[in-house]
Amino acid sequence: MPRITLNGDVYESEPGQTIIQVADDVGVSIPRYCYHPDIGVEGSCRMCLVEAEGVPKLMPACATPIRDGLIVRSDTERVKEAVRYAMEFLLLHHPIDCPVCDQSGECWLQDYYMEYAGHLSRFPLGQKRRRRKAFDIGPTVKLDQERCILCTRCVRFTENVTRTGEIQVFGRGHTGRIGVFEDRPLDNPYSINVVDVCPVGALTSTDFRFKVRAWFLQGTPSVCGGCSTGCNLRLDHSSRPQGGGIPGYSAREGTIYRTVGRRNEAVNKSWLCDEGRLSFHALEKWPRRTEARTGSETVTVERAIEQIHSRFREIRQQHGESAVAGLGSATSTNEALYLLRRYFGGHTDFRIDRETTLYREQEDDLLRRADKHPNTQGALDLGLDGPLGGLAGLVDAAERGRIRAVWVAFHPQLVGQDDPAVFERLTRLLSAVDFSVVATTHAFHWTDKAAAVLPMAAWSEESGTYTNYAGRVQLAVRAVAPPGAARPLHELMSLMLGRSGETTPSEPAGIFALLGRELPAYSGLDYDMIGSAGCVPERVEETQEVIR
Amino acid sequence: MTGPYAVEMPVINVTDQARREPSGSWRTLLAFGVTLRHLAANLLKGDSPTISYPEERRPYSERFRGTHILTVRDDGSLKCVACYMCATVCPAECIYIDAGEHPNPEIEKFPTRFDIDMLRCIYCGFCVDACPEEAIVMSREHHQTAADRSETIYSIEKLMERPGIDSNGIGYRPNTPFLEASLYSRSKQTCDIPSDAEERHPSVLYESMFRRRS
Repeated sequence: MPRITLNGDVYESEPGQTIIQVADDVGVSIPRYCYHPDIGVEGSCRMCLVEAEGVPKLMPACATPIRDGLIVRSDTERVKEAVRYAMEFLLLHHPIDCPVCDQSGECWLQDYYMEYAGHLSRFPLGQKRRRRKAFDIGPTVKLDQERCILCTRCVRFTENVTRTGEIQVFGRGHTGRIGVFEDRPLDNPYSINVVDVCPVGALTSTDFRFKVRAWFLQGTPSVCGGCSTGCNLRLDHSSRPQGGGIPGYSAREGTIYRTVGRRNEAVNKSWLCDEGRLSFHALEKWPRRTEARTGSETVTVERAIEQIHSRFREIRQQHGESAVAGLGSATSTNEALYLLRRYFGGHTDFRIDRETTLYREQEDDLLRRADKHPNTQGALDLGLDGPLGGLAGLVDAAERGRIRAVWVAFHPQLVGQDDPAVFERLTRLLSAVDFSVVATTHAFHWTDKAAAVLPMAAWSEESGTYTNYAGRVQLAVRAVAPPGAARPLHELMSLMLGRSGETTPSEPAGIFALLGRELPAYSGLDYDMIGSAGCVPERVEETQEVIR
Repeated sequence: MTGPYAVEMPVINVTDQARREPSGSWRTLLAFGVTLRHLAANLLKGDSPTISYPEERRPYSERFRGTHILTVRDDGSLKCVACYMCATVCPAECIYIDAGEHPNPEIEKFPTRFDIDMLRCIYCGFCVDACPEEAIVMSREHHQTAADRSETIYSIEKLMERPGIDSNGIGYRPNTPFLEASLYSRSKQTCDIPSDAEERHPSVLYESMFRRRS
């Protein structure tokens, strides 16, 4: 274990690390543009220069491997001067169009200028180099060559991560600029990541451009609901009202404007696929369901729950316990599925499509998986793949008259389209049973057949855990409020259980604690342990031992 | 004497008070005399506080700030680049902007919607100081009559009309004197406020900004 001294403090480090990696691990801030932990080292921006004892020149922290006994200082006057000069060169030809730049507010040039530079430009304004501004380099990304500082993060991303190499550096020295070839636009399925890695406003997302300024946004850590990989992301949504009472504003208070990759080395590094990144738009595809309905009358959720429960109880008394079944889906959280199982006992299922066969299957060698449901593993852990046989089995049982009442909790797929056959089967299921309840996020046409409809909160509107394909339990925090009277599924189920005389917590943390007590696989887990990076319970090994 | 209160409180008997006060018709005549004195003063000396309003106007304070104006470029297009600085600084949160992609990549961004809720606005002028493009300034216009609340939300079209700008000039800009001083006297490090009102309201300086849309 090499020990290095950083600004006077001694730190243990792993062999083979560079100075900047150690600094990041221990929380010493070293400025950088070109270095990115998941793209690799370039050493071109000269922002991370540090003073190493015994070395006459300043060393780039990103490209200098550590050795035992190395003494590094990043806070000396010499380092500060070097960084100030580096900033002056980087800003030499910068157009300073911050008012129209989408990056401003989260721009590294702005941040580092305030922190390290603060100089007045010595370059005549009229002689600044002019470059091509705001043009499409692909369907999702716009490039502004004037703002670029040639850190080549985007170039290295397309070279090393996606291995498509669309973005290149054209020209050399003073004429150097970033660009794409005319016939090869940036159109790989991970293209918007270059916007995330761009430290300045050179690359901007066509989807997010000019929607809102960065300082109006509030970030909430969440997990992508697009597929079973469960990439970590940050939901950026509006944080404070502006525009006062002007009509059209209030609707925007709970709007998600974009998603940004959240670094988790074990799952998605810093990346997101474009489909998953833009999957929050899927919730806008249909009108939302905002109020509860029983029969043809609109009622409050509590009243509807009361009616639904008494109807379920009647049917159970008449036709036996097994005549009532619940159908969740792998888009729901562990907490919701657990309470669903608790209410319906063993008559609970979640398979509406081919999730269980697809959920480990990769679509490409980076992130995307074939199963477009985020929580298939979690539902399997809860043992919901029981004898009901999924949606197809339920339809069969209902048509044979073995199932008389059904509760369906439906959340559409965020990525891609739900199979039309699923809707067809759901319609058949609803018309086959005596009494049907649909808890749904959107006002789909097929839900008109149901005897009662409950408005349900969608992904991003509820807190809860998802278990990804590898068994990692990850926490998604509620970012925006559900519309109208909509409630998260775990709250609806908690109300239902309350009606049947069982008191369960209604907040996800409490439900998860309950789940941990009952399910050996999740025992000992709580929200603090899951934290922002998620947690893999030791269940996988356990089950393997049992099998042996 | 106590009233119907839990604690002891003095009760004022108005009738008693009225009875104690001296009365008589001569007091009414005395009050009428005051009216007559003012009438005489108005008629003979002509120092009436009443003016015939729309034709005659009272001079407003130099520091008055009124309805906002969105300024235009030489070609008549809006100067605003939808940077949201005004909406950010606005303490009343009365500015609402929607930005769009401008066909000219040199301009890049422009407001597709720019609304100010005039009933919420407190006319502090922060938006003017925050604007990096001199795109929003305030006039000295205070006529904001409306028959309906929705009319008090001013859109781009209404904000581009410049009510009374030619006769009245623009509204007070507390920071402009500082700006001017620092721009025009580089040698003088201290920025002192020019004392005369002419310089403080340099509507002449901003004439180009208010060129009418062609």
